[in-house]
Amino acid sequence: MNVLIIEDEKALAEELEIFLTNYNYICEICFNGTTASERIGVNLYDFILIDLGLPDYDGLDLLKEAKKHNPEAVCIILTARAEVYDRIKGLDLGADDYLPKPFSLLELHSRMQAITRRKFGLKQNLIDLGGFLINLTDRTITYYNAEVNSITKKEFDLIAYLILHKNRTLSRSQLSEHIWGSIINDDYDSNYIDAHIKNIRKKLNVFASPDWLETVRGLGYKIKISS
Amino acid sequence: MKLKTKLTLFNALSKLVIVTIFVMLLPALIKNINQNYTDNKLRKQKDKLLRIINIQGIKNYSDASYYTPLKEDYVSIGVDSSTEVLDTIKNEKRLIQGDTIEYRILSHNFNAESKKYLMEIAISVDAITETTRPLQNIAFQVLLGMILLTIMADQFYSTYVLRPLGLIIKTKLIGHKFPNFGSYDKVKTSTSDFEYLDISIYKMIETIESTFQKEREFISNASHELMTPISILQSKIENMFEQEDIADELKTRLLEMQKILNRLKSITKTLLLISQIENEQFLKEDSIPLAELIQEVYDEISIRLQDKNISFETTIPADWQLVKVNKFLLFNLFFNLINNAIKYNKEDGEINVVGLYQNDIFSVSINDTGIGIGAEQLPFIFNRFKKFRQSLTQDSFGLGLPIVKSIAEFHEMKIEVTSEKDTGSSFKIIFPAGLVNLDS
Repeated sequence: MNVLIIEDEKALAEELEIFLTNYNYICEICFNGTTASERIGVNLYDFILIDLGLPDYDGLDLLKEAKKHNPEAVCIILTARAEVYDRIKGLDLGADDYLPKPFSLLELHSRMQAITRRKFGLKQNLIDLGGFLINLTDRTITYYNAEVNSITKKEFDLIAYLILHKNRTLSRSQLSEHIWGSIINDDYDSNYIDAHIKNIRKKLNVFASPDWLETVRGLGYKIKISS
Repeated sequence: MKLKTKLTLFNALSKLVIVTIFVMLLPALIKNINQNYTDNKLRKQKDKLLRIINIQGIKNYSDASYYTPLKEDYVSIGVDSSTEVLDTIKNEKRLIQGDTIEYRILSHNFNAESKKYLMEIAISVDAITETTRPLQNIAFQVLLGMILLTIMADQFYSTYVLRPLGLIIKTKLIGHKFPNFGSYDKVKTSTSDFEYLDISIYKMIETIESTFQKEREFISNASHELMTPISILQSKIENMFEQEDIADELKTRLLEMQKILNRLKSITKTLLLISQIENEQFLKEDSIPLAELIQEVYDEISIRLQDKNISFETTIPADWQLVKVNKFLLFNLFFNLINNAIKYNKEDGEINVVGLYQNDIFSVSINDTGIGIGAEQLPFIFNRFKKFRQSLTQDSFGLGLPIVKSIAEFHEMKIEVTSEKDTGSSFKIIFPAGLVNLDS
């Protein structure tokens, strides 16, 4: 899939490119609004990531142009201006999502996936993990037709996030940012991920041992899926 | 007590004291005046009589007494046998036709036709003093009237002259949430002191306001500007962490960096949030049942309760509906309060969230059985970056309660904190009128 990254902070744009390329996206970078505007007019993209704080261009104008020339593209606004006002304005103009800086790259990927699923109505997203059938669309887990209904929303969020970034170790910080990120909180080291993982394992163990949910010592957790 | 009341009271009291003193002195004064007047009159009569005797000769008058039928005054002339020279005015009693009457008597002896005579001119004391009482009454009434008049005049004038002060207090001081002062309306006054006061208050508030504004702008700009570099750093660390060829030992260190970066991120985000709240950049358009909001907080936080085996109980009427609020902010308010209740609690402790409705006021209390807050620290707990309570298991940066305070103020809610060391704390959120509706 083609991604246009419009970001004037070169270092950040490069990191975005590295990360997304790693996830098999084809990336193009624009460091300013003028070139971005030209590219949008000429090429077709699946994703357009727009930084609102461009020095030469109003990001919202770019968004309008993108909607005009690339109506199929998913537009995600990236900004350090986290004002509510911008948020509403951005969404009204047809941005598909909005990520306030600083954001986790994993979070960006997860949002891109979520929008793709929503927008293109992908076929049932079923993952088989050692007998557990995880349905990312319906958010259910079944074990040979028996539903594992003791799993809470938060716990499912964790599993889905790990599946989305399968075979990669996710740190506790990355996981807790995903499930508690929007909460403004006084703790800087609150890590209840271990407790959540413990609960998940306990609940799944009733059916079978979830060996696929691995603890990577000292680093975090990962879900192993052999393709 | 208000200045005007004080002034009026003082005026009235001081006048009353003066009048009382005057009225008390009045009998003595009148007596004195009367006596002088009478004495003068007696002397004039004496002179007149002497002149008459001189012209007409003593014969016609020797050994004679004249008095009016009512015996209010009399004149007598008789031969004087004593040798002493008399010329006195005294109060004495005389027996006249069987009545003993007190007179003011002028006694004067004189020689006429080689004989010595004694002349007495007298006016009865009753006649003299009979005017005293009416005079006293009149004086008292006139004074009273005058005093009432001056009190009224004082009252009127002090009301007039103090009106600008009242206006300054009413429009500049009462009901103004510092530092939101708004525009400056000059208070009309011809009193230069008030003019000075008015302009001074305005200037002071203006200074405070601009300082506040600068601080807010600074925090807002600084936290915004910090977001981009933090974002770059975070992305770099995340990308490095994903690289397969990096040794686990290095990854552990990357994680430490990530943790520290998270801390920086949290602080910056929190400061930005506070500045956004203070700049009123949030909308208040949500409605949500309070019980539901607390339930949402519970869902997020239950894992932390579990970790310390803390029991959590809520008693909130299901029909309490919060209206015209910002749900995101209120969620964060309750999250932080309940998070604190957990953080500073003991193992196997308790947390109660109780909704109260008393005297038309809705409130909700979050009570814990934790380590409590010392009385000496209580006034400072809402200050930024103050860390008084050493939490038992976690680190924090002292912005939890400042967020709570900002959000509460944004919604015009009040917070009352009561706490006892080693026993627990209670944070009571008092909702303003109209924020809670009963959903029927």
